[in-house]
Amino acid sequence: MRVWALALRSLVRQPGRALLGVLGIAAVGALLFDMLLLSRGLLVSFRELLDVAGFDVRVLATDTPFAAPPIRGATAVVAAIAALPEVEEVVPLAFGGASVVRPGAAPLALAFAGVDPGRRRPWRRVLGTDLEGTPPPGGVAEAVVNRHLAQALSLAPGSEVTLRGDCARERTAVPPMRFRVAAVVEFPFDEPRALTAAARMADFRKACGQEERDEADLMLVASREGRGPEAAVRAIRAARPEVHPFSNEELIARFQAVGFSYFRQISAVLSSVTLFFGLLLITVLLTVSVNQRFAEIAALRALGFTRRRVVLDVLCQSVLLVGAGGLLSLPLGFALAAWLDRILRAMPGIPSRVTFFAFEPRALVLHSSLMALTAALAALYPMGLVGRLPIAATLRREAIT
Amino acid sequence: MSATVPVVEARAVGKVFPMPAGPVVAVRDLSLRLEAGDYVAVCGPSGCGKSTLLHLVGCVDAPTTGTLLVDGRDASSLSDAERSGLRLRRIGFVFQRFFLLPMLSAWENVELPQVEAGAGRAERRRRTAELLDYVGLGHRAHHRPAQLSGGEAPRVAIARALANRPALLLADEPTGELDQGTGRQVVALFDRVHTDGTTVVVVTHDPAIASRTPRTLTMRDGRIESEERA
Repeated sequence: MRVWALALRSLVRQPGRALLGVLGIAAVGALLFDMLLLSRGLLVSFRELLDVAGFDVRVLATDTPFAAPPIRGATAVVAAIAALPEVEEVVPLAFGGASVVRPGAAPLALAFAGVDPGRRRPWRRVLGTDLEGTPPPGGVAEAVVNRHLAQALSLAPGSEVTLRGDCARERTAVPPMRFRVAAVVEFPFDEPRALTAAARMADFRKACGQEERDEADLMLVASREGRGPEAAVRAIRAARPEVHPFSNEELIARFQAVGFSYFRQISAVLSSVTLFFGLLLITVLLTVSVNQRFAEIAALRALGFTRRRVVLDVLCQSVLLVGAGGLLSLPLGFALAAWLDRILRAMPGIPSRVTFFAFEPRALVLHSSLMALTAALAALYPMGLVGRLPIAATLRREAIT
Repeated sequence: MSATVPVVEARAVGKVFPMPAGPVVAVRDLSLRLEAGDYVAVCGPSGCGKSTLLHLVGCVDAPTTGTLLVDGRDASSLSDAERSGLRLRRIGFVFQRFFLLPMLSAWENVELPQVEAGAGRAERRRRTAELLDYVGLGHRAHHRPAQLSGGEAPRVAIARALANRPALLLADEPTGELDQGTGRQVVALFDRVHTDGTTVVVVTHDPAIASRTPRTLTMRDGRIESEERA
C-alpha cells in the first residue's frame, strides 16, 4: 500500500468528514476560480472587442482614450495616415444621435454613427448588402441598422427609415432625412437593448446638419501585414504629431492601469479571504483527524515507519482533499461565473459582447497553483503535530487511557 | 544477528521522565542481555517500568543514561531514520490494543510493513498469505479489524509484527484485554514464534505466560528485582 493509497484510505475512513471537506474546498475553489476569471475578465473581453473587426490601431485627438474631443481636419488626417506604408486601411468614425421620425408615433431615439467604410467595417453584417465606400447611383442615402432597431421598426434590407440627426452639442433643428436600409448588422460595442444605426460619413453629416464640419471622433486603423501595429503607431505619431494613435495593446494596458484595476483589487482581496477560509477548513479537518489517530500513528512509527513517511501521509491527505475539491470547484466555478455574469451584464451601459468572467488558461494554472499552495500550507500544522509525536509517550498514554 | 552478538545488550541503562511535579525515574541502572532465541517474560507491578524497558529495547525511546546496544550497535548513535529502519526490519511490536489500521483488511495490515520495507509484490503476497495461515486466519484475510473477533485481532497483530522476519518480537501486555481462553491461544502463538527461532520478549501481568517462558524477569521500581530461568 503506497503512500497515496494509504492517505486515501485514511480519508475515506470518515466518509462524511471527507465529503464535507471536499465540498467546502469545492465552494472555496469555485469562488477563487471566479475571482481569477473576474480579475482579468473585462480585459480579455475588451481585447476581443477591440480585435473583432481587424483594426489594431485607434487614433484619437488627445491622450485620454475615454473623453477625447473630435479630430479636426479629419479628411487630411485620414489621407496622411492612409498614405503611410505601415498602414493598410483607415476608417474614420463620428458618433452622434438621431431619432426615427414615425408618422403618428413618438420619435424613437437611437445612437447614430458616420463612417467611411473601406474593406473592413466596424460591424458584422447579419443580413443584406454591406455599405460600400462609394454611394450607389441615384444618390440614395443608405444606412445599416442593428438587429434590435430592425426588430423594433420591422426593418429589413431594402426598407426605408426617416432619421432626424441630433449630433451637435448645441441643439439645432435639422430636417429629417430618408435612408434605405442596406443591411442589418451587429455593432461590437452595442448594449443589449441599444438601438443603433450607421451611415456613410457624408450622409451622417448631412443628417446632422454638419456638412461643413470635417471632424471624426475616432479613426480605426489596420496596420499593414508584416509591419505590425507598433510600427503603424510610430509612423502615425511621426507623420501627424497632433493626433494620438494607440495600438490595441496600449489601450488594454491603459485600461488595466486605470479603468479595470478596481476589479483586480476586489478579486485579489476576495481571493485572499476565500483561500484563507479554505486553509482554515483543511487545517481543522486534518488536525482533528490526526488528533484522533495519534495512537495509530505512534504504532506505525513503532513498527518502523519513518517520521518523513507519516508526515508525508498527512500532506497527501491534504493534497487529496484539496485536489478533489479543486476539481469539483471548476464546473461549479464556471456555473457560478455564468450566473454572476448574467447579473453584471444586465447593468446599463455594458456592451452585450462584454463578459466579466473570461476564461484563460493562465487562470486555471493560477487556480491550481494557489490550491496546491493552500494544501501545503494547510497541512503544515498537522504535519508538525505528527512529526513531533513522541512514540513511547503516546503509546504509554494510550495504554493508560 | 550473529550467535556471538546479543540481540540487545543494556548497560546500566536509566530512563527519567521530566514531570511538572519533579522527575520520575522509570528505569534505573538496569543491565540486561537478550540472546538470540531467548523467550523472556517481564513481570512486575504496574508502574515498575516494564513498558518503558520494552520501549527502550524496541528503540522507540532513548535511555537517559547508560548504553543500549541493539544488533551490536549503540542505539543512541543512530539517527531517527536509522532507528526506524532498525525497528522496521529487525524488531516486531505487538501492542496491548494491537492498533491495527481499521480501514485496512487483515491482509493489508500484514502487508503494510513489507511495503514500507520495500518488498516486491510477489514476495509480499507470498509472505502475507504465509503469515495469515501461520496465525490461522487465512480465511479472514479480507476482513477488517472491526469484523474480527477478540481472538483474531491479536493474531493479525502478531502476523503484522512478524511481517519483515524480525529477530526480536516485543509484546506489551498482549493478553491484557483478552479473556482467558483467547489469551491462551495468543500465548500458544508466541510459543510457536519462539520455537521457530525468533527472540520474544513479553511484558505481562499474566502468571500463566510467565510460567511458560524459560526466562522471567521481575521488575520493581525500575530495576530487575529477580530473574528466573527454567
